[in-house]
Amino acid sequence: MKAGPIREGLKYLCVGTILVWTLFPIYWLVTASVKSEIVLYGTPPAWWFRPVLESYARVLFNIPFSSYFLNSLIVAGATTVGSVILGSLAAYGFSRFTFWWSEGLRFFILLTRMIPRVALVMPYFLMMLSLGLLDTHAGLILAYISFALPFSIWLMIGFFDEVPVELEDAAMVDGCSRLMALLRVTLPLAAPGLVVAAIFAFLVSWNEFLFALILSGIRSKTLPVVIAGFNTDIGPLYSDMSAAATLVMIPNIVMTVLIQKHVVRGLTFGAVRG
Amino acid sequence: MGRIKTSRKTRESLGFILPGLFFLLAIDLFPLLYSLGISLYSWWLARPRDIRFIGLDNYQALLTDPAFYRATVNSLVFMLGAVPLEFLAGLGMALLFSGRLAGAQVLKTLILLPLFITPVVSSMMWRLILHPDLGVLNYYLTLFGLGRPLWLGTPGLAMASVILLDAWRTIPFMFLVMHAGMEALPREPYEAAAVDGATPFQAFWYVTLPLLKYIMLLTVLIRLMDAFREFDSIFVLTGGGPGTATETIQLLNYRVFGLGHMGLANALSILTLCFVAGMCYALMRLMARRSW
Amino acid sequence: MKGSLRNWTIALVAILLWVFASPAGAGTTKSINLAMLAGFKEDVLRAFLPAFEERTGIKVNLDTAPYGDLYKKQLLSLAGGAGRYDVLFIDEPWVPTLAEFLRPLDDLAKQVDPSDFVPTTLAAGSYKGKIYALPVDPNVQILVYRKDLFDQRGLKPPGTWAELLAIAKQLHDPSKDFAGFVMTAGSDVQTFAYLTLFLWSWGVELLDANNRAAVNTPAGKAAAEFYLELLKYSPPGVKGYTFADVTKTMQLGKAAMAVQWASGAKPMEDKEKSVVAGKLGYATVPKQARQTPIRGVWTIGVAKDSKNPDAAWEFAKWLASREFGLLAVKYPSTSSAIHNARYSVLKSPTFTGTLPYAEAILTSLEVAKERNRIPQFPDIQEQLRLTGAKITTGELSPADGLKELEASINRIMAK
Repeated sequence: MKAGPIREGLKYLCVGTILVWTLFPIYWLVTASVKSEIVLYGTPPAWWFRPVLESYARVLFNIPFSSYFLNSLIVAGATTVGSVILGSLAAYGFSRFTFWWSEGLRFFILLTRMIPRVALVMPYFLMMLSLGLLDTHAGLILAYISFALPFSIWLMIGFFDEVPVELEDAAMVDGCSRLMALLRVTLPLAAPGLVVAAIFAFLVSWNEFLFALILSGIRSKTLPVVIAGFNTDIGPLYSDMSAAATLVMIPNIVMTVLIQKHVVRGLTFGAVRG
Repeated sequence: MGRIKTSRKTRESLGFILPGLFFLLAIDLFPLLYSLGISLYSWWLARPRDIRFIGLDNYQALLTDPAFYRATVNSLVFMLGAVPLEFLAGLGMALLFSGRLAGAQVLKTLILLPLFITPVVSSMMWRLILHPDLGVLNYYLTLFGLGRPLWLGTPGLAMASVILLDAWRTIPFMFLVMHAGMEALPREPYEAAAVDGATPFQAFWYVTLPLLKYIMLLTVLIRLMDAFREFDSIFVLTGGGPGTATETIQLLNYRVFGLGHMGLANALSILTLCFVAGMCYALMRLMARRSW
Repeated sequence: MKGSLRNWTIALVAILLWVFASPAGAGTTKSINLAMLAGFKEDVLRAFLPAFEERTGIKVNLDTAPYGDLYKKQLLSLAGGAGRYDVLFIDEPWVPTLAEFLRPLDDLAKQVDPSDFVPTTLAAGSYKGKIYALPVDPNVQILVYRKDLFDQRGLKPPGTWAELLAIAKQLHDPSKDFAGFVMTAGSDVQTFAYLTLFLWSWGVELLDANNRAAVNTPAGKAAAEFYLELLKYSPPGVKGYTFADVTKTMQLGKAAMAVQWASGAKPMEDKEKSVVAGKLGYATVPKQARQTPIRGVWTIGVAKDSKNPDAAWEFAKWLASREFGLLAVKYPSTSSAIHNARYSVLKSPTFTGTLPYAEAILTSLEVAKERNRIPQFPDIQEQLRLTGAKITTGELSPADGLKELEASINRIMAK
């Protein structure tokens, strides 16, 4: 076991490199929110400076930031729930049963994800206009679920395939319906995949710009459009933009931690009990 | 894996599949057909009364335009530069985290952070860091006598910068998916391999890789599609420049769309769709032995 | 347990109702929707909106979009017949395209003392002899220079481009990280503005009387070559620069001169952002064959399909009024500037006393040249940007670039 310490050292060196690479731009972002512009562009780069907090006040009070935030939360939340439910069901269907055209169907589902968004935005716009869903949360949610769904389905197929059918069969022999077996037995075992599908759907809807720009408006504008607005025609307002981005990042961190801890644990716990 | 193949079971399976399928059809079919239709028309938004059917003229115009080929090449370079890099880095990180690691939970959360920053903002941040004359990176490079590269102002470097930014944003996603895949793997094969005296590399090569094949292929596929359609981050970082060095097919498409040329923009989108679909189909056929 | 389940159900139903029941169109007669530019100018407008709403009883809903996307959104919404906006904040090159969907304001404009507007700014909102939008915030290219350095060396602000080049050469000092002149020269939007400024200054018109491209001439080549020559005295990274970088370079005292839109001047005079605040001089851009700063006026127009045309007009009138102009100039914004198109504001002590570049704006506006008033201009502008980027990055020689530009413009005009 001579190589032990060296290997360990190498491992943590890798981790360190990854962290620097990942976190430096974020550090720069967060500090940009409390730097004055002269400090931000100053040479040599400032590592110590007197923080200015006015950008946060501007972001929070000069524009209706909280209502934009709420819009984003509603849209992303509903998209996540919707696409995870629809995605798990469809994936389960594909994973447990094959029929002669299921292969083609799966490819079709993937195909819907390949369409360039620019092509979709005009027909979506007209569709939402005629349904009276222009500038509503629902309009955005419908669009975003359709963005996230193909990946959710395909991903969950992979995870369901790894769960032995025998476990379900046993549950069904014990009197569970198929749906109950899916909920009680299969889903908990595929929990890591479910978490990824949920995070993916959340991200798609949380970060999407083009559709949010065109479809949303006075009542439903989401954060990416608002934040892009800080990149103004006379230049980016870095401090305001970073302040907004930092404010937005915090709930995301909380959400990831919560999903990882509670959802995974809750499901696994359920499996043991069931 | 046991699969059930009877018509009664087909009906049962449709109960699961239909809600999602119906949703996708309802939401995506009309726009797709609409887009296909529009691509056959000459339609400029500024002239709402002058919409003419012109058959395949839009396609012909595109296929004879050097800008189209240039953009296609740029898209391919971007895609083939970014995706393998992201895949390997993501896989490496997932492997790193599959062993024992102090503080893994906190580290994982930290590593995922780039995902939560709107693409526009992360591009703006990178612009700031890569700024040729005022950026922090060039300041330290100059300090160590490494010159002052024009990251976004030289064609090759601009493409490299765009790829690196994409890697920064996407490696966490690759990591996330593959890490989850590894977590869900059964323990038994590893125990068996250990009993047989397999080295960690052998365990990876003969156990992890085959079991993770589907997830890996899926992430690569999804990323290839997304990379070919990547827009926000390139648009903000370089705007397609310098010159047209990083103008990808999506940037071209957005420009045409932004100027209101609906027919041409949709033709370009349909061409992109065919290209991506063909590529993915070929890749799936090539890589998957078993039926999809 | 049961209770909590019921509570959750009620909450869920409430959320769903809220999400799906939000009405499709804005209802009351006294409410109008405004398509507005995000960020820049937004804070100034928001600061004074409550007073307007209280005085008139009109509720103004603000829908803001970033500069690069506002035009797309407006065009799509208007062309799609969404009835989404009553009033729109419009950059002048968009006016000919959007005029189709806007209400002619000729009769109404008489209410707002049109003779008070600088004539060129009133033209910015007009198309084919009709007024479709009123000028709110005029922008124009001006020359910015380091007055302190010029005084030290006994230099005068350059009157011609040759003089400007000579001064740029003289003050350019790469060893001190100091450039003679700063502009953009890459794929940034502003590259269009610099290429056009040079072409125009050298007497080139983009289109001749028959709407054919007329740029591939000896004068055009000389203009493009001047662009390349001037690049030698710019900061090393200029090929990746944007509008903001030009402002920033001046603010940090890293360049002697710049041609910049007037909207970039206020941040240069902000002591929080600029180390050269108070040390700058402003003048009209130099000339060659002629003096042609580009004009770019933000205007306010009323949608043809507005359900509340009266309220919409009331708002447009207020935004183009002297009162709002004076308020906006004084507003201590950290990021914005709304200048004004009215003589009564431009010459008021409030304006000249607040903004050191007030005189440069006025004189520049009076000689400013407008971009061709055709719906195709956004396409042509995009082509100018592309060709400019190709020439400055060396992808094409000036001659080849202009040849390509000419062919592209003719193709655009043929459609």
